Amino acid sequence: MEKFKEKIKTCLQNEPAFCTAACPFGLDIRDFIPKIKRGAFNAAYRSYLNAVGFPGIVAQICHQPCKDVCPRRFKDQAVAMRLLERAAIDYARNLNPNSYNLPAKNKRIAVIGAGISGLGCALRLASKKYDVTVFEKSDRIGGHLWNLLSPEIFLAEIERQFMYEEYTLLLNTQIKSLDQLDFDAVYVATGSKGTDFGLRPGAGGAFASTRPGVFLGGELCGSNIIEAIADGLNVTKAIERYIKTGGMNQPPEQRGTKIQLKPDFITPMEQVLPDKGDPFTKDHAMKEAKRCLLCACDACIRHCDLMRYYGKFPRRIGEEVEITVHPGTLDGDGTVATRLISTCNQCGLCKEVCPQGIDSGNLLLQSHRAMRQKGAMPWAFHDFWLRDMEFTNSDEAALCRLPGWYTESRYVFFPGCQLGASDPRYVTESYRLLKAHHPDTALMLSCCGAPAEWAGEGPIHNEVIEKLRRDWVSLGKPIVVFACSTCYEMFGKNLPEVRGVLLYNLIAELGISPSKDGEGETVSVFDPCTSRNESGLHQAVRDIAGMAGFSLQRLPYEGKYARCCSWGGQVSAANPSFAREVVKVRIAQNDHPYIAYCANCRDIFASAGKKCYHILDVVFGINDAERKPPTLTERRYNRAQLKRRLLKEYWNEKSEEEQMENKVKLYISPELRQKLSDEMLLETDIEKVVEHCETSGRKVVDKGTNSYTGHLMIGNMTYWAEYRKKDDGFELLNAYGHRMKIEED
Amino acid sequence: MEEKKTLTCYRCNVELKAQKTYFEYLGHSFHADVLRCPECGEVYIPEDLAKGRIAEVEMQLEDK
Repeated sequence: MEKFKEKIKTCLQNEPAFCTAACPFGLDIRDFIPKIKRGAFNAAYRSYLNAVGFPGIVAQICHQPCKDVCPRRFKDQAVAMRLLERAAIDYARNLNPNSYNLPAKNKRIAVIGAGISGLGCALRLASKKYDVTVFEKSDRIGGHLWNLLSPEIFLAEIERQFMYEEYTLLLNTQIKSLDQLDFDAVYVATGSKGTDFGLRPGAGGAFASTRPGVFLGGELCGSNIIEAIADGLNVTKAIERYIKTGGMNQPPEQRGTKIQLKPDFITPMEQVLPDKGDPFTKDHAMKEAKRCLLCACDACIRHCDLMRYYGKFPRRIGEEVEITVHPGTLDGDGTVATRLISTCNQCGLCKEVCPQGIDSGNLLLQSHRAMRQKGAMPWAFHDFWLRDMEFTNSDEAALCRLPGWYTESRYVFFPGCQLGASDPRYVTESYRLLKAHHPDTALMLSCCGAPAEWAGEGPIHNEVIEKLRRDWVSLGKPIVVFACSTCYEMFGKNLPEVRGVLLYNLIAELGISPSKDGEGETVSVFDPCTSRNESGLHQAVRDIAGMAGFSLQRLPYEGKYARCCSWGGQVSAANPSFAREVVKVRIAQNDHPYIAYCANCRDIFASAGKKCYHILDVVFGINDAERKPPTLTERRYNRAQLKRRLLKEYWNEKSEEEQMENKVKLYISPELRQKLSDEMLLETDIEKVVEHCETSGRKVVDKGTNSYTGHLMIGNMTYWAEYRKKDDGFELLNAYGHRMKIEED
Repeated sequence: MEEKKTLTCYRCNVELKAQKTYFEYLGHSFHADVLRCPECGEVYIPEDLAKGRIAEVEMQLEDK
């Protein structure tokens, strides 16, 4: 967490847009453009006016340095800023400046030169009620503007902006020496060939000269006309600082931006062009404004589901996590980010897309662990999956064996907990294939420990890892063949001494012909987020799909930028609406079926109605893309079944078939089975409730429907079953659960 | 309209009555009136209560 605190200091969230950084006035594009976009031209005009001082002049003559840095220029054309600025003026309700009622300041400022830079300075200071005197050697104001614009335009604009301000203008008054002036501060803006009174720019301070109280700016100092106006507006900050503190050390404005933008993510949009040099209509302007990318360093919030869902950048997340883990309240509560911490999919995309490599996911993982250690993380967020892991690693489903008479093996197949849960044949067929090529291949049916890691359960996680290490050593330290990229990642992280390969890479390397014929069907390969850094794996899966005759279409997010299917971090108990939203977005990327190579991605998408193959469906020709995924209860049954089947086939061992079943016989309709699964309730737990009610007689009778209702606490959860007698058992009518404990004495 | 259910305790054969009942979650304790057997205290919580108010309070406590 300390590391994150240091790293977050490099976050570029507050860096200006490219155009803002290039604009002499620093016009805040993220403020201006949204106003135009929604047709709020008056509001846009006010922003523009505040930035440039003389909108009617700047919008006519600006050389648009913004257009040279607009990232759109790489894709189509830069946003037509000057036309948008003119539209803000054309369609604003009120062009007049604001009138400020402030007390007069007892300070006198001299401005030498009534060009537009000097007038800019005079305007800003006069509006703050300084006593301003402008000295002009000629008989007119405007200076260089006379060569650039029609006087009707600029004189009218100057008059408008000064309409509420008072200042003294002395025309035909040439200042020969600064010594003849008795003022608190002086701004010298005498133009490109004007006098500098023998002064040089001073060291350090913005616009400062070597003489205290005298500032230089505008075209005199080599600025162009637009920069000269900006100088006139900006010098006032340096003058005010001098007046208040006597220092000539106003820091010069920092220009530039550190943000980076990958043009790959820019969608081309045609430039809106007015007819024959006409100004924009309102519609034109609003349409053109939509082309603006509002450049900001926001890759994290654009790509990360969690940040987008909460609308929070890493800096804010860091702050909230800090006060959640170390609350400052007397009660020690105020855990504002508990659910946010538990909503991270741990997919790693935030770090991947961040130009500074800020790893918010790791912060959330560490803080999860810290919260768990304190006992401040609600148990319910991970209870189901920790119990599921316990089941996978129990005698009912776990297995670690060398084949036949071998005493050690070169390879061990580690399918992970969910592959066989989805369809046991994925494992049996893969193992058969591996054994055909390497007969000494051992087998490990176990969980990689991811649920404990995601739950922040340090001690449980360590136990799982230690058991895996012992098992692996007992097999002769073989190369582990993984079918799940999460297991692969977890081993890499926690058991770095273990060498691992991915099943799909092996299948591609062995050149095995897929059994399924894709018949040219267009599909998209969905890379699991944990495969992010495995470019070889991405290619292998595409090669297999291609060999099967599928036609592949790319997804917007794949490979290095793979996004989580919603399973990662097992966040659905903590934040079900987030998980649902993530799935919805993932499956809507295109209308074609997906090919996944993570059993969770495959089953989650299929549950949400998306056609999705597992790559092993393609390799072995097992299932079609519409296969309904098993319920949570069936997933457990499948794992136990898988172990029995493998023991029988490869080790000729018969085990009890009835292990999964309880004593009571419960009839459950398919609809109710699905409901239980959706609500993360296991049929085996509900069977226990009924069994408990029947043996203890603790139940409530509804004489109207002739049904019973009873409850039982299993672990932390309280489960309820509503049922009635049927044949030799019971018919389950309904079941539900809650986390709250009933205090029964 | 659905008829009002008459619920009785299987063991005591007595009709359930709303009674003050204590609940606990994440270290917080509170009470509410739910149907219970006046004799043995057997509790009944219907699904709409479990998924409604109870789930709501659970969520509030998790976010507290």
